[in-house]
Amino acid sequence: MAELKVLFQDIDVPGIQTLQVYEQHGGYSALRKALGMTRQQVIDEVKASGLRGRGGAGFPAWIKWNGIPKDESKPHYVQCNADEGEPGTFKDRELMMRHPHQLIEGIIIAGYATLSKVGYIYIRGEYTEPARVMRRAIDEAYRAGYLGKNILGSGVDFDLYIHMGAGSYECGEESAMMSSIMGERGQPRLKFPHAPLPTIAGLWDCPTLINNVETLSCVPAIIRNGGAWYASMGTEKSTGTKIFSVSGHVNKPGNYEVEMGTPLMELLELAGGVKGRLKAVIPGGSSVPILPAEKCDVNLDYESLQAAGTMLGSGGFMVLNDTVCIVKFMRRTAAFYAHESCGKCTPCREGTRWMVKIFDRILAGGGRMEDIDLLLDICDQIDGRSYCALGDAAAWPIRASIKHYRHEYEYYIQHGHSMVEAQQSARA
Amino acid sequence: MAEQELVTIEINGIELQVPKGEMIIESAKRIGVDIPFFCYHPRLGKGQAANCRMCLVEAGTKQPDGSVRMMPKPQTSCSLPASQGLVVFTDTVAIQKARRGILEFLLINHPLDCPICDRGGECPLQNNTLFYGPGVSRFVEEKRHLPKAFPISDYVVLDRERCIHCARCTRFSQEIAGDAQLDFLKRGAEMMVSTFDDTEFTSRFSGNTIELCPVGALTSRVYRFRARPWDMKSQKSICTRCSNGCNIWLDYRPNRLVRVLGRENEAVNEEWTCDRGKFGHEYISSDRRLLSPLIRRDGKFVTASWVEAYQLIASRIRQAVQEHGARSVGAIGGAHLSNEEAYVLQKLMRVAIGTNNIDHRLEPNQLSATDGLLGRFGVPFSQNAIADIEKAKTIFIFGSELVDEQPIVFLRARKAWFRHGAKVIIAHPEVTETELRFDEPVVLRYRGGTESTLVNGLLHLMLASGRAVTDGIAQDELQALRQTLREYTPEKVAQITGVETEPLHEAAELLGEGTVILCGAKLRNGPRYAETVHALANLTVLTGNADRENGGLNILLPEVNSHGAADMGVLPDVLPGYARVDDDAARRRIESLWEQKLPAEPGMSTQAMLEAAARGQMQVLYIVGEDVAQKYHDTELAQHALENAGFVIVQDLFLTETAQYADVVLPAASVAEKEGTFTNTERRVQRFWKAFGSPSPDVKPDLSIFTELAVYLSKPIPVFSAEQVMDEIGQVFPAYAACRYDQMPAEGVRVQASAVPSPQLVPVQTEVPAG
Repeated sequence: MAELKVLFQDIDVPGIQTLQVYEQHGGYSALRKALGMTRQQVIDEVKASGLRGRGGAGFPAWIKWNGIPKDESKPHYVQCNADEGEPGTFKDRELMMRHPHQLIEGIIIAGYATLSKVGYIYIRGEYTEPARVMRRAIDEAYRAGYLGKNILGSGVDFDLYIHMGAGSYECGEESAMMSSIMGERGQPRLKFPHAPLPTIAGLWDCPTLINNVETLSCVPAIIRNGGAWYASMGTEKSTGTKIFSVSGHVNKPGNYEVEMGTPLMELLELAGGVKGRLKAVIPGGSSVPILPAEKCDVNLDYESLQAAGTMLGSGGFMVLNDTVCIVKFMRRTAAFYAHESCGKCTPCREGTRWMVKIFDRILAGGGRMEDIDLLLDICDQIDGRSYCALGDAAAWPIRASIKHYRHEYEYYIQHGHSMVEAQQSARA
Repeated sequence: MAEQELVTIEINGIELQVPKGEMIIESAKRIGVDIPFFCYHPRLGKGQAANCRMCLVEAGTKQPDGSVRMMPKPQTSCSLPASQGLVVFTDTVAIQKARRGILEFLLINHPLDCPICDRGGECPLQNNTLFYGPGVSRFVEEKRHLPKAFPISDYVVLDRERCIHCARCTRFSQEIAGDAQLDFLKRGAEMMVSTFDDTEFTSRFSGNTIELCPVGALTSRVYRFRARPWDMKSQKSICTRCSNGCNIWLDYRPNRLVRVLGRENEAVNEEWTCDRGKFGHEYISSDRRLLSPLIRRDGKFVTASWVEAYQLIASRIRQAVQEHGARSVGAIGGAHLSNEEAYVLQKLMRVAIGTNNIDHRLEPNQLSATDGLLGRFGVPFSQNAIADIEKAKTIFIFGSELVDEQPIVFLRARKAWFRHGAKVIIAHPEVTETELRFDEPVVLRYRGGTESTLVNGLLHLMLASGRAVTDGIAQDELQALRQTLREYTPEKVAQITGVETEPLHEAAELLGEGTVILCGAKLRNGPRYAETVHALANLTVLTGNADRENGGLNILLPEVNSHGAADMGVLPDVLPGYARVDDDAARRRIESLWEQKLPAEPGMSTQAMLEAAARGQMQVLYIVGEDVAQKYHDTELAQHALENAGFVIVQDLFLTETAQYADVVLPAASVAEKEGTFTNTERRVQRFWKAFGSPSPDVKPDLSIFTELAVYLSKPIPVFSAEQVMDEIGQVFPAYAACRYDQMPAEGVRVQASAVPSPQLVPVQTEVPAG
């Protein structure tokens, strides 16, 4: 099976970042078409496509679009999540670097459908190059009349702003991102049922549509070709294509767009095959549970991966071969979440740091057998106890690693060194 | 208010009805179910708390078929709103485990230095750990180390290791105080409370964060290491540092005050205190207190007995009255006395000495008490209750640095804006700190002295817009006012006052029903006080606020009992209850109650007494609880007067600058050492109680001093208790009849307004040089 390129269809066209070339390849025809449709027709088309949020949770996009109130008693906003912070994920970077107008067109259409006059692209602070590309493209779009007042003579207004993050993983969480855009500390906000959904009270308590870069980049093609066309790809519940950012022990790491439901092993082949012997795959970014090699006979769609005990997540597809020591790998993961915890909620703030301390002790040879169950118990105490999913994301990988690789932990604690590394040096 | 919609919920199998949207942690209290918490506080924003995760419960919703669909994760009950069919379990095995988990997390980095922590013994973290926590910790790593116990202001010490990051202090400083001085620095486990760039924590309300802190992270520099909570006794009291009348606790051990805590009174201070109130009562247990009477002999003070002091005073007063008449004796002071003391003081002057020379005012405007609002609205100073300020639609702060002068009124005004969206107008000649606590208020920056022109300009616009409320107003009065106001066009007013026409228009548009006007020192002490008050009263009438709960005119007062002293007749022209001394019928009524003939000629105001004294015409000046030499608006005059008065008696807690001029100094008891009532600026009468005895047996409550002095003047005023005095006050001034101690409710009693005819308009023609 080969790649199936929808988002990446024109990505190799030289100069596609420029408005001129983008227009030559059908650029902004979807916007023209959308402006000729009613807002509800646009939403219905997205509904028909079955498009699900590509940021990680896989929530049906149209439900958010349709959830925005149909009146304009308050201003509405579109918030494009370009804070691609999930370790192992770099698809949005490529979409912005190499196909910026596709995203801008998607955002404008979303703005039209949701009666929004203002959009924000929240780009992570480290992405200075993509931000520069987006800046140039937005300027071009303004000059060509795709942005600003009275777009293409339609009477529709839409302004698009770039908001740069400041290097916080947490700000990729949609409510923390809202806080950050509003100039507050980058911490998550109360969620339903404790507070209204962002579609009712988001930015400045106004209706706000929040979608990921990849989700919004899908929109032009859906409008151009119809929702049914998009839904014809992929599986029944996971329609269309998905970009996987393949990294780790493969011969050709990179972004690969494949149809939803593609077998995992085929993606590995697309990426040039595994370097050495496959040990495990983390299919959806560092937050999702690890999938051992023997369970990798699975298809890449939301449902199949969930059934396999992991998640599609953001598509940050990390491949590990048998030289990887799981204990050390998980120490690194735990340190990442401890570093990125915003500090708001007790379990995540204190629990993530505690786990790092335990890992450090184990790695230093001071582990105790009861530490394994202690780690599991700390995971239980963090999981589901915090405002946002950062705490959950810190707990899941560690819990799954102990479930699948408990023997590596036990070995490390007993011997004071890594089992994998011991095997390697024995082999050498 | 609209009827609140009720919903039926179930907590631990108990069905109950609660208002829709009420937080479950509150609903649980209704049925006595305890849910532990740290970060939750009913007065702080419910929006973004819920971070300690201590109050987790399991929740679900009842389905139409009667089954319950549980939410997959436990929910924080402090932010979970009650909705129809909500089912909550607060004590399941899973929740018990979750609570142990949260407490374990909180404790792993907490230093557990409870034995040397001020919070020990009254610490929510200790209490919750005892009831809900794990017995032992599984944490064997090294704890987090951060700076411990360093001062961040003169009042507050911060210990970053003890902090559990509940964000109560940061939310208080952002939402309630509005100065946003505290926030978190860094993130994750390194997150810490800090002021901006470690600058000084200069909030005027910093003391509240100490009380809000659920651990000993923020402690009081004043109270630090002075006592353990279980060693102290507490007495209910009223703060004496301004006229707001905050309810406080005096915490003391045997005979020394060790700290002041806020005491709840929804009607006044909710539970807050300002820093002046919280840290400003140290004087009570100061070592510099006067411990016995002093008499000046050969230019030096020598310790004397009370008998000596009384005999000397009585002889000098008798001599003065005989040789120069009763008008040569006068008393200044009373704004710091209780109502009962103020009442007995003026009775002493009028009955035992026979003079109306008595005044409590130290500010420049000493007009007749009956000239101001009394005749127009039936209240001398303030129409609105403090609690009703938060219901206002527009807050108009006129000539006041409110945050400094009236801190608790300020908090209500800010609450009206922050929580309920009231609009704010601020009129002041200078930039005030107060206006920085509101986002973009309408600011009227007038030139000092043009206040009445400014108000007339607003009235002009009100009438021109047709929004003025004119029902029930006599047509001729309205016509006369229109006539006067005709020339106050925005352009002309702008020229005279220096306020641009744009903010003038903006302000006029915000005025209407529900406008609370709060006037402060800049107006009270301004040259055009009298006419501005009448112009503002006109504005109050024409905005429909003459008789309204959430709108009206309020002249906020300077001292703890300024209102009470005026009510009690510590004024040269009125008796208790504002009965004019020259109104024969009113005077005779009180003469018959007191069985004593009273002088019918108005006495001298403070200013007149000081001027007379400076000329050498006052034989005896009796200064009670006021440091006139320092605090009188014209200190030069005051000092001159004290130098030239025949005989000066000073009654105070300390050897003040004024006392340096005295011939006799009488040591008085502090508020903690006596009982009585104060009337605050919203005319609320509140009781305070005796906490402990005076520092010396020779220190006496003012009430005793007055009555004993009366005996030495051979005109006994038989008084046995403050309670008995209040009963008598109720007879003389019937509005105080509701303040009898045996029937006074905990939140105090507001003095009723007297009946007045329908709202009148008084045209105010200001004489301002044409621009």
